[in-house]
Amino acid sequence: MATGAKGCKELFSEVIETGLCALCGACTGTCPYLVYYKGKIALLDNCALLKGQCYEYCPRTYIGMDAISQQVFGVPYSEEELGTTKEVLMARSTDANMRKKVQYGGAVTTLLSLALAEGFIDGAVLARTSDDKIPSPFLAQSADEVLQCTGSSYMACPVLGRYNQIPKDNGNKLGIVAMPCQALAVAKMKKDPPENRASIGNVKLVIGLFCTWALSPDKFHQFLKEKLDLSKVKKFDIPPPPANRFDIYTTSGKISLPLDEIRQFIMPTCAYCLDMTSEFADISVGSVEGIEDWNTVIIRTDIGADLVEMAKRKGKLQIDKLPSANLTHLKEASLLKKKRALNEIIKKSGDKNNLLYVGLSPRLADKLLA
Amino acid sequence: MANIDKDAPGTSQLLIGNEAIARGALEAGIGFAAAYPGTPSSEILGSLAQVAKEMGIYAEWSVNEKVAMEAAAGASFAGIRALASMKQNGINVVSDFLANLVMSGIGKGGLVLVSCDDPSAISSSNEQDTRTIAKWLDIPLVEPGDFQETKDMTRWLFDLAEELGTLCMLRSVTRIAHARGNVKLGELPKKQRKAYFDQIHDLKSVMPTTFMPIPSPLRHSFLHMKMDKARGKFEGSAFNRYVGPNKADLLIITCGSCWLYSQDAVKALKLEDRVGILKLGTLWPLPEKFIREHLGKSEKLLFVEEIDPFLERGVMEMVANLPLSSPRPIFYGKRSGHVNAYGELNPDLVIKAISNILGLTYQPRDIEYRKKAEAFAKSNVPERSMTFCAGCPHRATFWAIKNALKLDGRGGVVTGDIGCYSMALGPAGFFQVRTMHCMGAGAGVANGLGKLGQFGFDQPVLAVVGDSTFYHATIPALINGIYNQSKFILVILDNNATAMTGFQPHPGTGMTAMGEPTKVVSMEALCRSLGAHVEVCDPFNLKDITATLLNMMAEGGGAKVAIMRRQCELVRAKKDKPPYKVHVDPEKCIGEACGCDRLCTRIFLCPGLIWDKKTGKSKIDEIICTGCGVCVDVCPQGAIIKEAA
Repeated sequence: MATGAKGCKELFSEVIETGLCALCGACTGTCPYLVYYKGKIALLDNCALLKGQCYEYCPRTYIGMDAISQQVFGVPYSEEELGTTKEVLMARSTDANMRKKVQYGGAVTTLLSLALAEGFIDGAVLARTSDDKIPSPFLAQSADEVLQCTGSSYMACPVLGRYNQIPKDNGNKLGIVAMPCQALAVAKMKKDPPENRASIGNVKLVIGLFCTWALSPDKFHQFLKEKLDLSKVKKFDIPPPPANRFDIYTTSGKISLPLDEIRQFIMPTCAYCLDMTSEFADISVGSVEGIEDWNTVIIRTDIGADLVEMAKRKGKLQIDKLPSANLTHLKEASLLKKKRALNEIIKKSGDKNNLLYVGLSPRLADKLLA
Repeated sequence: MANIDKDAPGTSQLLIGNEAIARGALEAGIGFAAAYPGTPSSEILGSLAQVAKEMGIYAEWSVNEKVAMEAAAGASFAGIRALASMKQNGINVVSDFLANLVMSGIGKGGLVLVSCDDPSAISSSNEQDTRTIAKWLDIPLVEPGDFQETKDMTRWLFDLAEELGTLCMLRSVTRIAHARGNVKLGELPKKQRKAYFDQIHDLKSVMPTTFMPIPSPLRHSFLHMKMDKARGKFEGSAFNRYVGPNKADLLIITCGSCWLYSQDAVKALKLEDRVGILKLGTLWPLPEKFIREHLGKSEKLLFVEEIDPFLERGVMEMVANLPLSSPRPIFYGKRSGHVNAYGELNPDLVIKAISNILGLTYQPRDIEYRKKAEAFAKSNVPERSMTFCAGCPHRATFWAIKNALKLDGRGGVVTGDIGCYSMALGPAGFFQVRTMHCMGAGAGVANGLGKLGQFGFDQPVLAVVGDSTFYHATIPALINGIYNQSKFILVILDNNATAMTGFQPHPGTGMTAMGEPTKVVSMEALCRSLGAHVEVCDPFNLKDITATLLNMMAEGGGAKVAIMRRQCELVRAKKDKPPYKVHVDPEKCIGEACGCDRLCTRIFLCPGLIWDKKTGKSKIDEIICTGCGVCVDVCPQGAIIKEAA
């Protein structure tokens, strides 16, 4: 199944109307017709173009995994559980104050701030959560602005729309903090650079986040709003298994909800996602099971390695070895997501040879489905 | 406008039909005129209002036709001659009052109702024939066939109304109302009457004066007596006449502008010796004796009249009552299919009907010539679509409505009615409006849609209405929506003018028909006093109004009001220079390479934007662009630049 010449009509029929849309934002921001609003992509008018970049860069339309891997890493798509890796380690910010505000070890915030400070990038596209806890895309251009974006809302956010909005003549170097689906879309863009947007070559750094699933922003926000005063919320957290809780830290203490209560808000598309660790990022960051205040960090590219090395050298990040049990468990979880997703995809397509958007080599597909 | 107040009896003036009506009313000594604007009737009150002060009369644009008629009746009750004019739709608005007024009778001041019909609905939502209401109401009805008659009939009708003590009606059509002809002026009265509501006026001077429709059967019988009297007067009226041979192959019975078409047709066919024309000016009650005298002229009758077979049916009823021994003519007309039972007529259609009946072949000119002439004429006419003017605030409002409904994603429905904004049924308003009936109907229909929640209805409902229409016919629907908690948003497109009919003032404008400043009836204060959540917005601020509409759609509760306020561009442009100078930066416009696929000229469709086929890019038509700057926020590339002018 090749992408071919398809446009927004097919984007709707194949992705949005089938519940595959991940709200990554890749189709928004530049097109006047495709607009994100309250958890949905709306089509404001008929676009008569037969071929659209909306369809082309969607992470839920056909992806030749080998081809994009070749583009990003110079090798075909890795058969390893965690994708292409250089090193997997554990890190945390050396700034104890900052660690109080961030999700786990503050690795993302630290790396972005450093990249900005060193002129490695001029800005970073990421999700910022408003006072009433609605995440929206944001272009941070200073360490202060990066700090405004700490913490996860666990809700999908069309971050790539913000990249698409950058004027095409803007030469600023960019970083992107991406969910796995967003890292995929960026990889697709790197493979076939978009037209009429800021050059994808300007994207110097992709920091990927681990993701098991994301929550549907509008519905989940409505649910939370009915439960509590969102302006009092300081942080959300889903502690690693077996906690099975969704923790809400508020100014007046912690509220825990059973995870099962919020599962109904999981985006349907997440069931069809193979990627837990943002395999197409330069650096992927997540939590560490059982070790609070630290991040798991997967270095995948030279750029990623250089940045982590610099952070270590400048004393911004404290680095440690990831315990082998954690690594094993991470790999198991990552593999499990791939297997589950492939099975769900086949269930949806009704044909074991039709993997919808996933362009895997038959060998790897068979291996994962075995 | 022409000098309808020229005091030069015996001289001729070139007047449009509506001005001739106004002049006739002035010559009749009218003191009071009221109307609601509506094409093709608007120039009647418009021209009277212009001369009202110097002529010592009073003229007003009333809030609607019903109030106009009632106000005019009030003047009549106090002895002042009064006129109410309206288009055909207005007759429906006023009909409830009329049905009672004919029973109560008018006052000492002659009272005349003018209805201007619009065959083919050139400027209307329908082509209703209002002649039938005269029959329904039992009131005398006349219809002029030329401009002189238009003036003379109007003048005479006031005398008739006073003499009979009943409302009299003059029907006109677009081609009389808006065409122009010579009118020989009569005398203007030198003195106005004193207005006085005579408290006791019955014969024995004991009963208080009352105007009421009851006791109805008794008053109904009085009304019939008045009609008998009217018929008697009509029998000898000079407005009815026959021209043609004593024995004709065909007798045309016609009225109004169709009389002109009939004369043209007979002349073109050179059938003056074979076809006679019976022209009627007094249409109801029919002058039966007069008609009967001419029926024997031919055994074939052709009825040439627009819209409904009013005369055709009337004469049929008459003939049915003739003695059995009388000759039975053959009826040709709408019933037989010889004349269209819809739309305007013209000399060609009459020629076709006559030729058909008399078995003639008529070819005015060879077909090739005709094709060439048409093609040549078309080549001189620039292509224009039916759209909002450049800079029209409605385009911006409908752009925001479209986007808000799409973003909301629940399939919101827009109901509408009559006004410039009716164009939003089509591409000008991005096909947003889905219902269009009479004035205020959008809000009424929204009341129903907004109460369907219990049946699973979750689509947002927006009712669009113009500012003038808001005052005219929407307020009860809004009250109903608030009181009965119907979930809809009333979007008032407030451009501070009755724009479609020629910028007549309304209660929101602060100006009277006679040019006097007056108190503005604030629509937002009114709506808020009803308890509605009201937002007042500037439609040129696309982002804000989209957000406002989205928020209002997301809210619960009953009817809400969003006022989109910005002056009609045609009014603004008369007073002020364009606010911006707008141009397309050819560097930024990426033309056909843009993913928007010509959004500016394919979807937004402001006539001020044109697609330059040579460069494959957008550009501004500097002649048409009014510098509103809205398109700046529509171009996805930011290629449209506005600079303070």
